[in-house]
Amino acid sequence: MASSNSSRRSLVVSLVLTLAISFGALFATLGAGWSPKLGLDLAGGLSVVYKPATHASLSDLQEVTSVLTNRVNGLGVSGAQVNLQGRDVVVSVPGVTNARQVLKTIGQTAQLLFRPVVCYATAPSSKAVEVAPGKLPACGSSYYTSPANLGIVVAPNTANGYTGPNNIADDPAFTNIKSTSPQNDFKNDYVLLPVLGQTGVRYVLGPAELTGKAIKSALAQENQSGAWVVNYTLTSAGSPQWDKVAEANFHGLLAIELDGVIQSAPLIQPTQSSFTSFGGTGEISGSFTETSAKNLALAMQFGSLPVRLVPLTTETVSPTLGHSALVAGLGAGLAGLALVLLYVILYYRALGLVILLGLGLTAALLWAIISSLGHTALAPSFDLAGVTGLIVSIGITVDSYIVYFERLKDESRAGRTVRTSVDRGFRSAWRTVLAADFVSFLAALLLYLIAVGDVRGFAFFLGLSTILDVLVTWYFTRPIVILLGRRSGAGNSAMSIAAGMGSGATDE
Amino acid sequence: MSEQTISSTPGRFGRLYQGLTSIDFVGRRKIWFTVSALIIVAGALSLGIRGFNLGIDFKGGSSWEVLAPHATVQQMTNAAESAGLSQPTVTKLGSSTFEVEGDLNALSPSQQTNVTDNVVNAMAKVAKVNSNQVSTSSVGPTWGAGITHRALEALIAFFIAVLIYISARFEPKMALAAFAAMVHDLLVTVGVYSLFGFQVTPDTVIAILTILGYSLYDTVVVFDRVRDNSRGVLNNGNMTYSEMINLSMNQTLARSINTSLVAILPVLSVLLVGAYILGATTLQNYGLALFVGLVSGAYSSIFIASPLLAVLKEREPRFKDLRLRVASRTDRLVLTPAAAAAMTNERGTTTREAATGTARSNVIQARARKQKRR
Repeated sequence: MASSNSSRRSLVVSLVLTLAISFGALFATLGAGWSPKLGLDLAGGLSVVYKPATHASLSDLQEVTSVLTNRVNGLGVSGAQVNLQGRDVVVSVPGVTNARQVLKTIGQTAQLLFRPVVCYATAPSSKAVEVAPGKLPACGSSYYTSPANLGIVVAPNTANGYTGPNNIADDPAFTNIKSTSPQNDFKNDYVLLPVLGQTGVRYVLGPAELTGKAIKSALAQENQSGAWVVNYTLTSAGSPQWDKVAEANFHGLLAIELDGVIQSAPLIQPTQSSFTSFGGTGEISGSFTETSAKNLALAMQFGSLPVRLVPLTTETVSPTLGHSALVAGLGAGLAGLALVLLYVILYYRALGLVILLGLGLTAALLWAIISSLGHTALAPSFDLAGVTGLIVSIGITVDSYIVYFERLKDESRAGRTVRTSVDRGFRSAWRTVLAADFVSFLAALLLYLIAVGDVRGFAFFLGLSTILDVLVTWYFTRPIVILLGRRSGAGNSAMSIAAGMGSGATDE
Repeated sequence: MSEQTISSTPGRFGRLYQGLTSIDFVGRRKIWFTVSALIIVAGALSLGIRGFNLGIDFKGGSSWEVLAPHATVQQMTNAAESAGLSQPTVTKLGSSTFEVEGDLNALSPSQQTNVTDNVVNAMAKVAKVNSNQVSTSSVGPTWGAGITHRALEALIAFFIAVLIYISARFEPKMALAAFAAMVHDLLVTVGVYSLFGFQVTPDTVIAILTILGYSLYDTVVVFDRVRDNSRGVLNNGNMTYSEMINLSMNQTLARSINTSLVAILPVLSVLLVGAYILGATTLQNYGLALFVGLVSGAYSSIFIASPLLAVLKEREPRFKDLRLRVASRTDRLVLTPAAAAAMTNERGTTTREAATGTARSNVIQARARKQKRR
């Protein structure tokens, strides 16, 4: 038939194109050196899901996301992702080996607060207990770190440019009181906090006068004399607020507090005899090391979260465990695949080989797609949940062949030749495959849209392979089986198509 | 009859392979429904009495994992306790992975960090590795509730979407039967988890959602055949709706069994290779739920969805009439898939003539209709 010939040509074209595209894409990906972006449970790394402690607007959460993104990028870690999923903020940093250290830096979730230092406190005794929020005793007046007691005197000819501050003793009233814990660290209360990196050194601080929102940026730099300083810029709204606070604490100590720890407590303008406006920028100098200056700059710039975050779940995975999970996942997948192939080849003979080729094609396409997506960071990274999604999809993919081949058996039982069966069988199988794949895709899509974390990877790869299944069924299975069916004439050898269809089939 | 090929009486598998089965799925529905009801009731009782074995993701807590081929559970327990973890649960996963679990949520955040770090160091020391080799996971008490909430949202959205899709593509009664089969799978899986005390984790929840999709996928394939047959075979007037469903079931039986095998084999491999040999907990969690659910899903699409559809449809007046008309006829046939295929051809839906003679006489098996109704 003429129509049969032209159709044959389009079938061959479709088949050749599909094979060329699939394996071409695979080799292109391999050639480009792209490989799937492994999720943290396979590559090792860190993932944290945060929830705002109090009600937060969507714009607050978006600000949190950008602050955390900056913070993570500020660490020089590559491949990190910060996403907003529903009202949760998901941070994932795959491939880091020192996950717990990284976690500590990202995990500084509190607001940055500026509080005046009221007095120095002694180190806590072993009997120390925490007092209720707001119930901290007042500092003894002789221990006040007020500008008057500190006695800063401007001395332009000294190294520092000023003398002082006077030594003020630690107030012993706080010996039996523990430092205020982060969850009791309220903005409007007096608090007792430790100083970063100095064991046993604690200050009593007054209510916060400013939050980190006033800071636009902060940068650790070396000044002319080679000492590390932190230069910061204030926002336009923050600048007058800062001046007001600084003026009130002129020649006093203003503590920069992050997550219940005093990062630094600089003196305000000790080299000037009277207060002058900061004009939107400032510099904190002192006995900084490079690391401590950079940490303070990071804390000042990125510590300013609009809401406090509570970690819902924290996970760190060591690279070795990740690797062993990858081996387990691949081993399980390959073993399962081998079993399935063995079964279908025994059951369907030559048609089983079609499944083998089809799965090889699907695998090539999947590898190419996953690698390319991983390269562009569009898709969720490939994790154990994704591996499971793919393993589950083996069943759905192979089922499309089974539906078709069982239809072929039906057709051949009806006494039709292989040649007609392949065409008729495909038409009815195609509808079934579409309906069934649609349902599977629907499930994957809904899971992807609604769920968080791991689930999205699972749903993504399940949905992806469902779409591939539809395409492969049309562009590969249809042409190859129809072409084989038309060529079929070799009689009833064990590997012929008819052998895979039961006794009713007759070859032409 | 020139029935040479058939009179050689193939075995069970052969009959399935050649489309010669004529199992009365609808007639024996009481057996299937009772089996399912028993499992579901047992599961519900267990759920009421014992509840679930919830993982740390639902209770809140912390867990640590390390590869330590030469360590013992006792060493790990001692290490965790001396690091300040009270009542640790230590399990050996696979051949060399150790998992320590404990609850730190009573402590303040900074204490939690301290204890977590201490346990990391202690376990690294026992395992004789760098502390970076210890994996940690800590979960707040509200995380699991959040996951469950999202899962329920996904579930409800999925149910609604599915009901609409099947109602539109097939018909509302099929949607109802498919829905019942899904609820069946959900109840069976949940019940089995409670009965056997399997640990419930967020992975389990995900897996259950997947299973429902899969179970439905299976059912849709069967219903697609039912719809085809309800146009063709039913118009002949020598078959009731139930018999037509039986025929459809027998026609898709080889597919159902193959598909279920093909789906279950990789999942079984995940469960065995991935989890028990290599000790990957995530794989184990997925594998177990998927395995239970796939078995239930394969069962429900064959034994629950279709018989239920028959029950629903038989209540419609036109199918009641059909039943009466069919009962009055004497030339009743219980068709095997092979016979039905031959008949379609006989009616001339195509113009093929070659080889029909042998095929037809080979496979039609006339048989008296069962009088007894259970």
